Amino acid sequence: MLDVQNISINYGVCAVVQNTSFSLEAGKIIALLGANGAGKTTLLKSLNGSLPIADGEILLNNKVLKSFSRREIAQKIAVIAQENETKFPVSVLEFVLSGRFAHGTAFGWETEKDLQIALDSLEKCDLQTYANRTMNHLSGGERQRVVLARALATEAEILLLDEPTANLDLAHQALMFRLIREKCETRNGAAIVITHDLNLAAEFADEILLLKNGKILAKGASEKVFTEENLHEIFGVKVLLDKNPASANVRVTTLY
Amino acid sequence: MNVQNSKFKVQGFRFGIALIFVLGLTIFLATLLGSENLSIFDLNEQQKTILFDIRLPRILLGASVGASLALAGASLQSLLRNPLAEPYLLGVSNGAALGTMLAFVFFAQFELARPVFAFAGASLATFVVYQMAKSRAGMNVERLVLSGVIVTTFLSSIIVLLTSLLDAAKLRSFTFWLLGDLSQSTINGFYLSFAAVIIGTIILIKNARALNLMMIGERDAFDFGVEVNKTRLAVFASSSLLVGTAVAASGSVGYVGLIVPHLVRLAIGSDNRLVIPFSALAGAIFVVLADTVARVAIAPRELPVGAITALIGAPMFIYLLRRN
Amino acid sequence: MQTVLPTREITDDLGHKVKLPDTIERAVSLAPNLTEIIFAVEAGDKLVGRTSYDNFPLEAQKIPTVGDTLNPNIENIIALKPQVVLVSTASQIETFTKQLESQNIAVFITNPNSLVGIYKTIYQIGEIFNKTEKAREVVDNLKQRVADVEARTDTAEDIKVFLQISKEPLFTIGKESFLNDLIYRAGGISVTENVATAYPKLSKETALALNPEAIILSDSEDNKEPNEVFKNSPAVKNNKIFKINADIISRPGPRIVDALEQIARDLHPESFQ
Repeated sequence: MLDVQNISINYGVCAVVQNTSFSLEAGKIIALLGANGAGKTTLLKSLNGSLPIADGEILLNNKVLKSFSRREIAQKIAVIAQENETKFPVSVLEFVLSGRFAHGTAFGWETEKDLQIALDSLEKCDLQTYANRTMNHLSGGERQRVVLARALATEAEILLLDEPTANLDLAHQALMFRLIREKCETRNGAAIVITHDLNLAAEFADEILLLKNGKILAKGASEKVFTEENLHEIFGVKVLLDKNPASANVRVTTLY
Repeated sequence: MNVQNSKFKVQGFRFGIALIFVLGLTIFLATLLGSENLSIFDLNEQQKTILFDIRLPRILLGASVGASLALAGASLQSLLRNPLAEPYLLGVSNGAALGTMLAFVFFAQFELARPVFAFAGASLATFVVYQMAKSRAGMNVERLVLSGVIVTTFLSSIIVLLTSLLDAAKLRSFTFWLLGDLSQSTINGFYLSFAAVIIGTIILIKNARALNLMMIGERDAFDFGVEVNKTRLAVFASSSLLVGTAVAASGSVGYVGLIVPHLVRLAIGSDNRLVIPFSALAGAIFVVLADTVARVAIAPRELPVGAITALIGAPMFIYLLRRN
Repeated sequence: MQTVLPTREITDDLGHKVKLPDTIERAVSLAPNLTEIIFAVEAGDKLVGRTSYDNFPLEAQKIPTVGDTLNPNIENIIALKPQVVLVSTASQIETFTKQLESQNIAVFITNPNSLVGIYKTIYQIGEIFNKTEKAREVVDNLKQRVADVEARTDTAEDIKVFLQISKEPLFTIGKESFLNDLIYRAGGISVTENVATAYPKLSKETALALNPEAIILSDSEDNKEPNEVFKNSPAVKNNKIFKINADIISRPGPRIVDALEQIARDLHPESFQ
C-alpha cells in the first residue's frame, strides 16, 4: 500500500532521514523504534506529505504520493499525532466528525452516514457517553482515545500513529492495539506505529523498523530484530531477551 | 441528504432566525431614535431627508461595519487558534487606517482610493503580524498578541507622524475618524461595505469546515485533508477586505471582532459554520446599538462609536485574557 | 543676564498674581492671538519666542519658534531667557507653569472668550509691556469700529447663521464660543448657540433641521463648502455662503473685529452701501 523508496529528509541543512526504504502491506502493522532524535516522527510525517522529502519516492497504492490531492491523501491515510490543544470549546462529537472532512464537500454539513460512523468510532473506543463533553475537559488519556476515534472515523486504510499509547492506562493500551489490529485484519488496513514500548511492539507489530540517526539499522520480525547487539547499539543499554510465556513472542527486559 | 444530523443544527437554525429577527428589530428601533424627533408615519419633506438620507444610511452602514468586523474576528480567531485575535488588536485596523490616510493625503479626489488603500494596508499588516508571530514551534497566544501590539504601535506612530504634517483642521477630522466614527455615512458607502460583507461571508462560510479543523491545529488540519495554505490565504484576504472597507468607511471601531464571536460561541458552540454567519448578524446588532448610543447620548452633539465599543470591549478583553 | 527682581504684580485670567520686573525686555508668546496683541500694542520688539502657528503680522515670522501651542518646547523657552511667558488656557498649563516658575520665569495666563475679554487681554498685555497708552488707543479704536458695525446692523433683522468649522465630521460653535457674541453684534444669531461646549461635533440630523439662512465657513483646505446636509437650506438656496479666514475667526485678538466687519457686511450688505 505504501512503498517508501530510498527517501531522505532534510531539516535545514541536516539530513534527518537518509536513504530509507521499506514497504507497508495491507493487513500489516509496522512498529517504528529508535532512540529520541532518531528521526522517527520526521519519517512518519513525510509519509502523508506533511514534510517534503529531499530525495527518493513515496508510492501510495503504486502512485506517487505527490500526485494525490490533500483530500485524497486524507481519505487514505489517517494520522494520530502528539495531540494539539485548542482554546475553543470543541465537543468530542464535533472533534470526531472533523475526521470526516475529506469525505464531504468543504461547504456542506456532515451526512447521516458521517454521524453514524463517528458514533460507531466513539463506541469502539469506549467513549459512547462522551459525545457532548468538551475536549478541554478531558484527561490526557481520554483525549488520546478521542484522537484514535477520529482517525478511525476517517475510514482511511492506513493509520500513522505517533506514540498513541503514551497517556493510556494498561486496559486502554490493549484496547487501542486491539482496534488497530482489528482494522488491519478485517478491513484490509495497515498501520505504522511509533512507540517506545518494545514489548508492546513485539506483541502487536508484524514488522519492526529500528531507526538510528535517520537510517534503518534493522528491519524484520521482532525475534529477528530484537537482538542484544541491536538494542545496545540503539539504546546503549544491556537487555535480557526471552519469550513471553503467553504469546511466545520475544520479551525484552532492561538490565539496570 | 437527511439533515436530522444532531439536534444542535436545529438549535442553530432557531438561533439564526432569532438573530435575524433581533437585527431587524434593532434597525427598526434605531430608526426611531436620533437627535431629531421624527414620527415616522407622518413626515414632511425635510424629515424624510433626515430619515432616508442621514439616519438610515448610517444605521445600515453601522450594521455592515459591525458584520465585517465580527466576521474578520471570528475567522481570524479560528485560523490563528486564538480567541484573542481581533483586527483592532492585531494591527489590521491600523494598517487599514494608515492606508486610508495615505489615500486621503495623496488621492483625495478619488473616493474609491480609500477602500482600496485600506485593503492594501490591512493585508500588509496581517501578513507582517503573521510572519512575526510564526515560529518553528508554531504560534502561541502571547507571541501573537505581542506581535499585534508591536505592529499596532508602530503603525500608530506613523499615523501620528502623518497627522503632525496635516494642518489643524484636517487633524481634528482625522483624530475623530481614527476613534471610529459613523457620522460620514453615505448610502454608497453602505453599498460598498455590504458588497464586501456578502463576498466575505461567502468565502468564509466556504472555508468554515476547514476552519473547524484549523481551530484544532494547523498540522492536524493538514493531516485530515485541509489545504492549509489555501484556507489561510482565503481567510487573510477576506478579513483584509472586510476590515479595509469597514475602516475606510468608519475608522477603527475596536473590539467588535473580539466580543461578538465570543458571545456567539458561548451561545451555540464553536462550529464555524454557525459561528461565522451568526457573528455577522450579532456584529451588526452590536454596532447599530453602540452607534445609537453614540448618536443620542449627548444629542445634538455626538460621540465616536469606537469609544462606545471600546468602553464595553476593553474590560471584556481583560476578562478573556485572565481566563485564558 | 542677571535676573531682575520682580517689583510689581499683575493678576492674570486665572486669578494668579503674577510678579513681574519693572520693564519687560524679553517675552515669549505661546498663542497666535497673544502675538497679534503684542504687536498691536507695539511691543513686538520685546518678543523673543513664538509658536509655529503665529504667522501674523509678518514681522512675527522672523521670531524663533518654540513649538506649538499644545506642545511648547520647554527647553527652547528656557534657553531664550524670557522674563515672562504669555500663554492661553489651550496650553498644558499645570506642569508647564511649575517648570518655568522654578526657572524664575513668570507665566501669565489669558483666557479671552468674548469681545470684552479681548479688550481686557489687550489692556493686560499693554500693562505688562508698559504700553498702557497704546493699549487704550487700540481698544478705543476697536470699540469705535464695533460701535459703527452695531449702529449699522442694529435695525436689521437677525439672520440665522450656521458657522461651519469643519465639513466632515461636522464641527460648529457651541454656547461657550466667543463667536456667538460676534455673530450677534454682526446682526445674526448663531443657530447652535445653545449646544454645549465651545466646538461641538454636531449631529447631521440636527444640522439639517436648523435651516440656517446663512453659512459662514471657517476657511481651510477641507472646509471649502457647506456640508451635504445643508443642500436644501435657505442659506444654500439663496447662496448665502461666506468664507472667512480661519486664522482671523479662530483667534481672540484685535483682528476679530475684522471678522466682525466682514460678517456684518456679508449678512447685511444693504447696511453698508
